[in-house]
Amino acid sequence: MTRRKFIRKLIKAGSAIAVGASWLISKATPRKFIWAARVKKYPGPLKPLRDISKQGKWSG
Amino acid sequence: MNVQCELCPKMCLIKPGQSGECRVRINIDGVLRTVVYGYPCSIHIDHIEKKPLFHFLPGSLIFSIATVGCNLHCKNCQNWEISQANPEDENIPAYFCPPERLVALTRRNNCPSLAYTYTEPIVYYEYTYDTAKLARSAGIRNVLVTAGYVNEQPWKELLKHVDAANIDLKGITDDFYRRVCSGTLKPVQNALILAKASGILVEVTNLIIPTLNDKPEQIRELARWIKVNLGGETPLHFSGFYPRYKMRNLPPTSLKILEMARKIAITEGLDYVYIGNLRSEEGQNTYCPACKALLIDRSGFTILKNRLKDGCCPDCGKEIYGVWK
Repeated sequence: MTRRKFIRKLIKAGSAIAVGASWLISKATPRKFIWAARVKKYPGPLKPLRDISKQGKWSG
Repeated sequence: MNVQCELCPKMCLIKPGQSGECRVRINIDGVLRTVVYGYPCSIHIDHIEKKPLFHFLPGSLIFSIATVGCNLHCKNCQNWEISQANPEDENIPAYFCPPERLVALTRRNNCPSLAYTYTEPIVYYEYTYDTAKLARSAGIRNVLVTAGYVNEQPWKELLKHVDAANIDLKGITDDFYRRVCSGTLKPVQNALILAKASGILVEVTNLIIPTLNDKPEQIRELARWIKVNLGGETPLHFSGFYPRYKMRNLPPTSLKILEMARKIAITEGLDYVYIGNLRSEEGQNTYCPACKALLIDRSGFTILKNRLKDGCCPDCGKEIYGVWK
């Protein structure tokens, strides 16, 4: 192997390691949880605030 | 532009105009938005025993709310009409009730605590968080009834404002979570450990479904996991299944199976094991783990007798795990 070929291989291997390491670091870093913003208008129908003092029919 | 919701382990990558799996967190013009903030579809006043919470302010009433949506899609869901609904559904209207109004209503109805329940409080996270913070400053305690399918960072933030939680441990295998719930086991176990470590009161519910998670060895493994990771003092509720939603082909759980499960969990070292959804003489009462004396006598959601003295057994003085006042 010539010296030029050896240096080329070395550069290739080094850059592959650098890419791999940066990918690993980005995966390992805890991601910041982003809050969801509110909407101005509810997309469904609304009902008046009545009959709330009854026991719920739902489980839980 | 797509946005990624990082609230739960599903990590939904949401396209513009689309929602995540929970149906209530949507991408509008590249911004993640919650459509249910301030819009609960259910508001009720329940007995706290209905959650079920047996070691937190027994006999008290709890103001209970839910919005539509859930990040899991359990085939046996008992509340699927609201948990699997879209906010747009014509037959599930919502109330307009921002956090301030909710806290005022809780006080007006003399409820010492507020439950985020029925569906999945994690999917209406921002509403839960803001309300819980406000409620606590008004002297109201916060209770979560959740499947615990949430990422660590938002969970830890929310736990700072929570007093008690009933968390489902639906099964003890990843395969069960994948096949029945469209989720995975590990994040739930992590949420349980974090909740207990945070110092809040934790009770666990396991719904026993015939043929799917009712084998004695599965129940033993689940009880052992709770004992090792959460402690033997953690109350466990074995709940009976009823055929609902996409699982109408299986029979309801028999009392015999629930009693067998209770016996196994007690043998494995759990101090407080209860039976829910079916009447059981012993399975709804609290007994002292040291001297076996009857401490709280229940009939359904009603407390017939509460013998606890300052959170301790009146006969042997053992301190009983819980928040009693």
